[in-house]
Amino acid sequence: MPVQLTMPRLSDTMEAGTIVRWNVKEGDVVSSGDVVADIETDKATMEMPVYDDGVISKIMVEAGKQVPVGTPIAIITVEGDEAGSAATVAAAPVAVAAMSVPSNNAPAQTAVPAQSASVSPPSVQFDAIRQRVSPLARRMADEMGISVSSIVGSGPGGRVVKQDVLKEAERLKSGGARPMALVHVASPSQSSTAVVPIGAGASEVMLSGMRQAIARRLVESKSNIPHYQVTMRFNMDPLLELRTMLNVQLEPQGIKLSVNDFIVRACALAMTAHPFFNASWAGDRIILHGDVNIGVAISLPMERGGGLVVAVLTQAQRKGLREISTETRALAEKARTRGLGPEDMTGATFTISNLGMFGVDNFTAIINPPNSAILACGAAVEQPVVRNHQLVVGHEMQATLSLDHRVIDGAMASEYLQTVKHNIENPATLLV
Amino acid sequence: MSIATMREIEFRDAVREAMSEEMRKDMRVMLIGEEVAQYNGAYKVSRGMLDEFGPRRVIDTPISESGFAGMAIGAAMMGLRPIVEFMSWSFSLVAADPILNNAPKMLYMSGGQFGCPIVFRGNDGAGGQLGSTHSWSIEGLFSNVPGMKMVIPSNPYDAKGLMKTAIRDDDPVFFLESERLLSMRGEVPEEEYLIPFGQARIARPGTDCTIVAFGRMVNICLEVALELEKEGISSEILDMRTIRPLDAASIIRSVKRTGACVVVDQSWSFGSPGSEVAALVHRECFDDLDNYVHRVHSADVPAPYAHNLEQEYLPNARRIAEAVRSCLYRS
Repeated sequence: MPVQLTMPRLSDTMEAGTIVRWNVKEGDVVSSGDVVADIETDKATMEMPVYDDGVISKIMVEAGKQVPVGTPIAIITVEGDEAGSAATVAAAPVAVAAMSVPSNNAPAQTAVPAQSASVSPPSVQFDAIRQRVSPLARRMADEMGISVSSIVGSGPGGRVVKQDVLKEAERLKSGGARPMALVHVASPSQSSTAVVPIGAGASEVMLSGMRQAIARRLVESKSNIPHYQVTMRFNMDPLLELRTMLNVQLEPQGIKLSVNDFIVRACALAMTAHPFFNASWAGDRIILHGDVNIGVAISLPMERGGGLVVAVLTQAQRKGLREISTETRALAEKARTRGLGPEDMTGATFTISNLGMFGVDNFTAIINPPNSAILACGAAVEQPVVRNHQLVVGHEMQATLSLDHRVIDGAMASEYLQTVKHNIENPATLLV
Repeated sequence: MSIATMREIEFRDAVREAMSEEMRKDMRVMLIGEEVAQYNGAYKVSRGMLDEFGPRRVIDTPISESGFAGMAIGAAMMGLRPIVEFMSWSFSLVAADPILNNAPKMLYMSGGQFGCPIVFRGNDGAGGQLGSTHSWSIEGLFSNVPGMKMVIPSNPYDAKGLMKTAIRDDDPVFFLESERLLSMRGEVPEEEYLIPFGQARIARPGTDCTIVAFGRMVNICLEVALELEKEGISSEILDMRTIRPLDAASIIRSVKRTGACVVVDQSWSFGSPGSEVAALVHRECFDDLDNYVHRVHSADVPAPYAHNLEQEYLPNARRIAEAVRSCLYRS
């Protein structure tokens, strides 16, 4: 029987994982407990053990690729299986026998210890993915509106028990801090609104799945990532001038470039010189992603339930303004009408949030994990500016980078913004 | 019940009073067994009864449990209401065919033609260094049989009220006393009272853990509860009084409040009242449980003779306390 290995779900919130490294190649003999790959999730990089003895007959997803949870990534041919090649099948019995000498490599011990303080020990164990919760604790948590995934259980095997729920309720009531070890994050329902007297016309809005996901991810991000912000002003006159010209010329083709399209291009191009802005913190290392997949935050209309999605423009460093514009428009249209699929929303390596169209001058954004940075853009505002020692009227835009200080230091952030600024203020660089 | 009518009597006196009162009321009631008449009972439960009721209603038998149990069952089928004393329930095993295979099934197998209103009573559980064959706790084995009722009182008051109900009941009732409880003194009113079957008593109210027990174990649990109280654990002890019928509602109500359940049952664990209660609680209180039902039973070995081993074999205060702490994740 061939055994298919699929991308495991290593956390509640994990939608996709990246194979950081394969420790085996096709034809290698593996036995139960062997760590065959390192998988990077939005939280950490974890080892992936196998539970079968056999031969790796096919690796279907190469290292560095991110695939959704459940995607087949490799096939193990187990002894006696006809699916493998003649050579590997012949090799298997001997080698498997050689490796099946009793060792301490029991499956239970294949789970790796936490790689960093940001990951709780239970959550990295494959057999502990299903959180253990006593029935009473689960019911109490439901009734209190507490997410059990936010609790580290004190019972056997990390089981969440009544006293853990009571402690969590107490903690939430007092607004206390969560213990360091926690990886899971408070659900939005943990607010302390209960203490506010209910006024006339008050009502409650039940949380949509999206609202819960936004809350979970952002609390997780803001709690775990040491954020800081750096703001810079850009002279937007050259870009606006170029944009007007291009849009006039491209109108017959139905192309209308937005300011944001230029910013996406400017940021993506800047990555070549600044790879750490296109990176992820992975506990014991930093992963530089190479391809620049830019997430663009899109707000959804209230008739679609409101909320926010991040559409992903893959390999943005290779795309011209026309392509960026067309794709972004298509994604935004899809998001606002049919809704985006997981394939449209996963894999962002850097995110841009733009509130310029709403007349916002400046704001800060929360990093979209596992990104290391997010750029928050305000409007290109017509205002008095100083150019060449002269007070004139011009357009300026403020953009604020939020950064993960574990990955990026302040000076690096300034240098990156300098490059982006150069790209924006010299927009010809964005064309060729 | 006014205090003035209360007096303290022994467990054995309570049982005798129940039997005597019913015999005075109902000519069909009789007592039969080894040494129940002239010797006043091997454990003096039937003291004075021969004198009062005479040899036709208080009957000494040879050492022949199968014979006198079978005879009494026949009498019950024909309209009498016999009370059969086994010196020890351990000895009833030789009468297994009449008491398990005939009495509980009679009503069913005769299509309702013959009932079997009979009480089997005697000492159950380890009496203290009586060895493997004389230390049976038969509740696990016998309660398995449909058609019977099983009563296991923990104190004189309950013993009297339950015995009277047992004698008046139209089905075979297995009434389990304990050699270790016969001298226990307790308040029993002079007025007549009956305790219905299938109604557990809250022997001690509490909030943290429900302890389900019956018979002698209830008293040990009460001692344990005092110790646990010092650790801040509030135990609610349910004295089940009857195993069949079992007061499931009281167990469920209590466990739904406490979220934790420990069953203390001196019979062996495999297929026992304890396992039945655990199954019940897991089914009915699944979403209320903070931990699985913990069970304290006699060890899964024949009862040892040596005193120290026997003490460890039986559910004891230490093992019960450990089970409660473990159930509450306090160990």
